[in-house]
Amino acid sequence: MDNQFTNSFLSKEESSISQSYINKGYYIGRVADQNSLDFIQKTFIDIITNELNIKGKVSTEELFNQIHNIIEINDLNDFRLNIIRKINEVHDFRKHYYQIAKPYLDLLVGNELVMQTKVNLSIQFPDDDSSLLPTHADTWSGDSPFEVVVWIPLVDCYKTKSMYILPPNENDKLNLNFQALAGSRSEDLFQAIKNNVEWISIDYGNVLIFNNGLPHGNRVNLEKETRWTMNCRFKGVYTPYWDKKIGSFFEPITLRAASISGMNYKLPELK
Amino acid sequence: MGESCHQSTQNLVLRDYCQRMNYKYLLSGTEYSINNSYLMFQQLIDEMPVINGIVAYSIFQLPENQEKRFQIINRILEKNGEIHFALENLKISNEMELARVENIWLVRQTLKNCIVSLVS
Repeated sequence: MDNQFTNSFLSKEESSISQSYINKGYYIGRVADQNSLDFIQKTFIDIITNELNIKGKVSTEELFNQIHNIIEINDLNDFRLNIIRKINEVHDFRKHYYQIAKPYLDLLVGNELVMQTKVNLSIQFPDDDSSLLPTHADTWSGDSPFEVVVWIPLVDCYKTKSMYILPPNENDKLNLNFQALAGSRSEDLFQAIKNNVEWISIDYGNVLIFNNGLPHGNRVNLEKETRWTMNCRFKGVYTPYWDKKIGSFFEPITLRAASISGMNYKLPELK
Repeated sequence: MGESCHQSTQNLVLRDYCQRMNYKYLLSGTEYSINNSYLMFQQLIDEMPVINGIVAYSIFQLPENQEKRFQIINRILEKNGEIHFALENLKISNEMELARVENIWLVRQTLKNCIVSLVS
């Protein structure tokens, strides 16, 4: 049975988005700022063409969906790490990333946020078994359940070219019988839940926000195109942190004036 | 403020940071383990501008007291120096960067008054 989300102070649309997040464990919406997505896409194109020393015009289709025709599988991880390092060096990259999801974050998380200090990138070639993320929930390895993941695709993602997530009602069932279902390795866990997971279908131009406490992962990409997706975590500034701390992992990005005043407030002293 | 690890691990993080940033890594200074001691730190600041920057392991090795924190940072800035923090990948070389680090400090100190656990 779905959990009912009730908040009479929210509009009908806001309640609907919130209800979707609670029931399905995620929400997919159009990017909130097209200019920011354009900035990010152009940043990638510049970095990739420079990294691969490509002269002349190359279509985005070739650079993203068909990149596996240009890069050898053995070079993929170094290539990916270089791209991650370079996008994170670009001034305002994270600001644009935030702008893409801002209204959804305001609604689902709050308007005083911390953001992960690095944006991550997944590149998954067709039939590549070296870039797999076994079934996991971020909360199982130190992330706070108050976080959300903002997942932005640079290509259309569908079926095995995407990620899967276990819906909240199925996660409740898993938790009730976790020891038996988890087996002795993460593959056992996937086999136990594979018929209940949902494969996320999302086109370029949309943004996915999902609950990091739900088991998720990917499998070998059996489609004919390469997956390119970014991910980054956000949470409310004052909500509990687990192992991922303020400063080293998260940075406040939208502190409000009243909070800054409050944090600097000192009562007068009588000496 | 509780952000520490074994000295040899700190040195690894510092060396890696300097290598990534293309900085020349000189000898590491080790602060006395006496509570609230910043004597070695102050000594390093005295050596500016002969050395042009200090790399600390974490921003949370700065004094908890805001006034003392500002005193130290302002001394560095007055000498046109800069201080880097390897764990957080942050630096302070101007007022804007100081505000960025200070926001993190203020939130960290405020978190003492927020819920920290899901279990009562």
